This record gives sequence, structure tokens and C-alpha cells, in this order.
Amino acid sequence: MGEIETGKILAMYRDMCIIRSFEFALEREFKKGNVPGMLHTGVGQEALLTAIAHSIRKSDGFFPDHRCHGLLVLAGTPGEKIMAELFGKATGVCSGKGGSLHSADPSVGNFGDNAVEGSFMVTALGVGLGWKMQGKDSVVAVMVGDGTSGRGEWHESLNLAATWKLPILYCCVNNGYAISTPVGESHATADLYEFAKAYKIPSVQVDGNDLLAAYEATQKAVAHIRAGNGPYFVEYKTWRWQGLFSGEFRPPEEVRYYKEEHDPIQMTRKLILDKNIADEAHLTKIEQEVNARIEDWVNFAMQSPLPNPEKATANVYVGWEVEKA
Amino acid sequence: MKKMTMVQALNDALHIAMEENERVFVLGEDVGKMGGDFGVTRGLYEKFGAERVRDTPLSEAAIIGTAVGAAMVGMRPVAEIMFADFLTTCYDQIVNNAAKVHYMFDGQFKSSIVIRTACGAGFGGGPHHSQSVEGWFMNVPGLVIVAPSTPYDAKGLLIASIENDNPILFLEHKALYRIKEDVPEEKYTVPIRKAKIGREGKDVTIVASMWMYHLALNAAEDLASEGISAEVIDLRTLRPWDHETVLESVARTGRAVVVNEAPKIGGLSADISAVISEEAFSFLKSPVQRVAALDTPIPFSLILEKLILPDKEKIISAVHKTLKKA
Ligand SMILES: Cc1ncc(C[n+]2csc(CCOP(=O)(O)OP(=O)(O)O)c2C)c(N)n1
Ligand SMILES: [Mg+2]
Repeated sequence: MGEIETGKILAMYRDMCIIRSFEFALEREFKKGNVPGMLHTGVGQEALLTAIAHSIRKSDGFFPDHRCHGLLVLAGTPGEKIMAELFGKATGVCSGKGGSLHSADPSVGNFGDNAVEGSFMVTALGVGLGWKMQGKDSVVAVMVGDGTSGRGEWHESLNLAATWKLPILYCCVNNGYAISTPVGESHATADLYEFAKAYKIPSVQVDGNDLLAAYEATQKAVAHIRAGNGPYFVEYKTWRWQGLFSGEFRPPEEVRYYKEEHDPIQMTRKLILDKNIADEAHLTKIEQEVNARIEDWVNFAMQSPLPNPEKATANVYVGWEVEKA
Repeated sequence: MKKMTMVQALNDALHIAMEENERVFVLGEDVGKMGGDFGVTRGLYEKFGAERVRDTPLSEAAIIGTAVGAAMVGMRPVAEIMFADFLTTCYDQIVNNAAKVHYMFDGQFKSSIVIRTACGAGFGGGPHHSQSVEGWFMNVPGLVIVAPSTPYDAKGLLIASIENDNPILFLEHKALYRIKEDVPEEKYTVPIRKAKIGREGKDVTIVASMWMYHLALNAAEDLASEGISAEVIDLRTLRPWDHETVLESVARTGRAVVVNEAPKIGGLSADISAVISEEAFSFLKSPVQRVAALDTPIPFSLILEKLILPDKEKIISAVHKTLKKA
């Protein structure tokens, strides 16, 4: 456990619970028809998301992918504003115009997802370059899935970040599959950090379900970047609980292993109990408090008004209106 | 005043914009020491250095992505895509990100970028170095397309585009790079979304832009000797284009010919013609005529290229048609 304080571990555990509880509530509301559109969740990936959230500052930035609802909250946006956005409500962080896939909040460094998977790999270059030119020491993290490593932009980004020594933290979330295609069947290597080596970017592969391992790797990467050494690539091996919209497609033994033996929440819980950082009652209290907070956010979203019709034509151009009919 | 080619006028605009605002920077292929494929960025590297005049690899998506990301943190990037034909390789970055960032996050970010690119045919560039691409982008809300026809407008429009907060696709027609006229050496701007009446007339309105604008002026000159008075409008901004100036002119002349270097189907000429029909139908004395490229890729051999492109004669015969003289 080294230098990580016990308080920090408890705080991170609570944040992991926020992610899971948030996503479970969303799944439930999605089934009820309260969340329009499509829903991808980060259940099973809480440890790495929390590790990243605890490694970057408010003055840093990040590009969340489609499984990052929890990260948006951990970054500092009030949870009810994220929840309301996913419900398509006026009180959402983008007034209901972005939804699950486009919830940005510049006040906490959240540059928003781009639902054309991987396209923001090159947008991040501009954020890194802009900050570098402005003399800032901010770091920009990009969340990107294994299935997205085949995009041309993915490779253009790594090449230029290395060439221009940009402050980019590549967070490669390797959960083993694109939608259904195993990463190793569609890429030259299933160990994606090997690509980074070719681009001369320092890289590491870590168990993304192991909170402390993920946290330590991320801390090291961020320190390297902030010192002005250019980009860093962390590959988090993990597993997403969400299968396909039509159901589970992965081998039963694999599903059992990740849900029963290698679930990041249970792993962290066990660590806390084994090291006597807190007892069962304390953890249960944290979980209950978190669940209650999430339900408050759901209620807020449910009770919020729908967007004003004027929003449909607002902010297409800066300074010009569009025809209203 | 100084006689400048369009290349020099554009170059002048970049020098002025970069001197005035240190957040303005240029990126693209060979824009640095070499000064760009057509010389538009010449001298910038020597004056502003490699940080602000940034050579890139052939990574068009990264060029546009970098520009958008930098704009999201307050920079004012001017990206160069060497030939407009290559915009296909960064189409997603322009259509799905540059043009949508402001809207989908409800105004929290601005995508204040300028994408300069060389377009157009007429020199035997063949299928991949000659296209008129405005039609590819007509259907993209949030995007602005600016297209100067003269050195004076080129300088003023480029400065205005760099100062504008919207994503702007700035088309530079290769056939116009070497034309010369008097251009003020000091800073000035030309308004975006404002068309210009380049020649006044009362019998027919010819709407054009870039190289086609010059062909339309030549046609109008010939028509004058037949006693036909043609008004020629240079759109200058192609999207969203200036309805008011065009409709006001058509209301006066009662006839319209729309000239565009790209094919008709789903293109700029289709949109202009549709708006005239919707908004000025009662003023029309005859149907709107379009002069545009044939529905083919651009062939290499000059004689074939000429065949598929609009020219002065085709414009004149379209005008005759509106006057029922054909
Ligand atoms: C460019 C693009 N292609 C395809 C899709 C459709 N799509 C959405 S998610 C996905 C799989 C992504 O896999 P991965 O990056 O591994 O993320 P995961 O869902 O496993 O977290 C696909 C194909 C898309 N949104 N964008
Ligand atoms: Mg995956």
C-alpha cells in the first residue's frame, strides 16, 4: 500500500461506489424509458476511472468516452446536472442537448465525448498544444477503448503527441472487446501498449481493476507528463459488465470470474477490510449514503423541466441566429 | 495601396493577424520554412518561429483535430489543407466536431478555426487536385464557407475569418492565386455573409463566386455589347449565403442565372435556385437557369476538363435562355 493514506483509499472507495450506483440507477431508469437514446455504462471499470479522477487536477482536462458517466461526476460537476443531462432535461450540464455521449463541462476540464469513437484522439492534441503554447503545466487525459485503437486518428494522435511532446495522458481502457470483436482478433497485438512503444511514448500495462495498481501507474504517468516530458500511455486491463444490448456474448467462465472474483468494488472492499482500514459497518454506511445521494440526483432529473424549445436553434453559430421555421 | 496577387494578399492577412494576436497560429503540411505549397504562408516561419508556424505530417485529421482542440482552449488556429480534395480525410473532424462543438455542448466551447484550402479546376490537376468542394459541406449546420474572388476581398475576408468565432472553411481558388489588383497595406476586414454586387445591371442577375465570378463578369461584358444588361453578384460567403442581396437583385431584374463550378445535384447552385424560386417566384419572368459542372469527376486532359466545366459561352447561353433568346 506504500504511501497512499488510508483516508485516500476510503475516499476512492466511496467514488467507486458513486460510479457503480450511478450506472445501476441509470440502467434501471433506462429500462423504465426515462433515459432516451443509447446507454453504455462503466460498471466493472470503476477502479481505473477513480484512479484517473484522483490523479488529475481541476486545472487539467479530460476527454471522457462512452463509459465515463461516473468520471464526469468525480471530476466535480454536480451529479444532478449530469443525471439531468442524461434524462434530456433543461437542468442538464449541456441543457439536454448533449446527452450521455456529449456531456461537457469546461469548468472542471471536461471536454466532452465525441460519439464518433476515437475522433477526439486528435482534438486532445490541440488542447495539449494550446496549453503548452500558453505556458500552462496542465495535463489532458483521453479515455479510449481497445476497440477504438484501429482508428487512423488514434495513430495520428500518438505520432504527433510524441513528436510535439504534448502533455497527453492516453488512458487505454482495454476491456477485451469492441462491441463483440475480441481486441486480439482485430489488432496486430492484444497488448495495446505495445503500439505506444513504436511511437516512442513511455507506456505501461496495468490491472485496471486493481485500484492501487491503477492509481500508482496513473500517478507516475501524470508526474512524467507534468514535468514536461511529453505523453504517457497507460493500458488498463479491465472488463465491462455490460454485454451487448441483446444480452451476454462472452464465455460463462469469463463472466463468472470478473463478476465474482475480479470485481473492482469487491476487490477494494476486501483490501480495506483485510488491512483494517475500516470495518464492514463503515463500508455499508458509505454505500448507503452514496445510494441515497444518487437517488436524490435521479429525483432531481425526474422533476426537472424539459428544455425550452428555443434551445433547439440556440448556439448553432456564434453571433448569428438560424431560421426558426 | 500596393499591387498584390491573391497569394500576397492572403499572406499579408496572415502576417497582420499573427502580429496582432499571439494566439493566432498556423499549421499544415510544409507551411513552415517552405511557406506552403502555393506560398501563402511565406515569411511567417522566419518572423514567428516554428511554434506558431507548425509543419505537420500528412495527417489531415490531426491537423483539423489539433485546430479544434486548440480553439477549445482559446487559441485561434489557421489550418492549411494543401488541396481541398484532401478534405475527405478530415471530413469527420470538420462535420462532426468543428461544426458541432458549439451546439452540442450548448455554447460552452467555441470552435473558432479557419481551414484554408486550395480548390478548383482549370489547370489539368485531374480528379484529385481540382474539385470544387462546397457542395460536400452545404448540409452542415454550424459551418461557414468563405470564398473570395479578388485579392482585396481575400485579405479582408481572411482577417475577418480569423477574428470570427465560428469554424470557417476558407476556399482559395487556384486559378485566382496569381491575379493582381491594388490592395491596401494596412489592416481592414470584409464582412462575412455579405455578397457583393460586382457589376450592376437591370435585365438579369448572375450569381457566382470565385473563378466563376470572373467568367460571369466576362460574360456580362460580352452581353453588354448585345444590349443586355447583366448584374453580377459575387457571393463571397457560400454558406450561409446572403439571401437578401441575391433576392433584392432578382426582384429588380426578374431573371436569374446561377453559376457554380461544382455539379448541380444537391449543390450550391441547387440551393440558390431553390431559394430564388421560393422567395422571389412572383418577380421571375422566366425560370432560373443553372450553369454548373457536368455530373462527372474532373478529367485530366485539358480538352476534356474544359468540356465538363462552366465557361463564358455557357453562361451567355443561359442568360439568353432567361431572355427567351436561345
Ligand atoms: C467511428 C465509430 N465507429 C463505430 C462506432 C459504433 N461503436 C460504438 S462503441 C463501439 C465499440 C467500441 O469498442 P471499445 O473502444 O473497445 O469500447 P467499449 O465499448 O468496449 O468500452 C462501436 C463499434 C462509433 N460510435 N464510432
Ligand atoms: Mg472495449
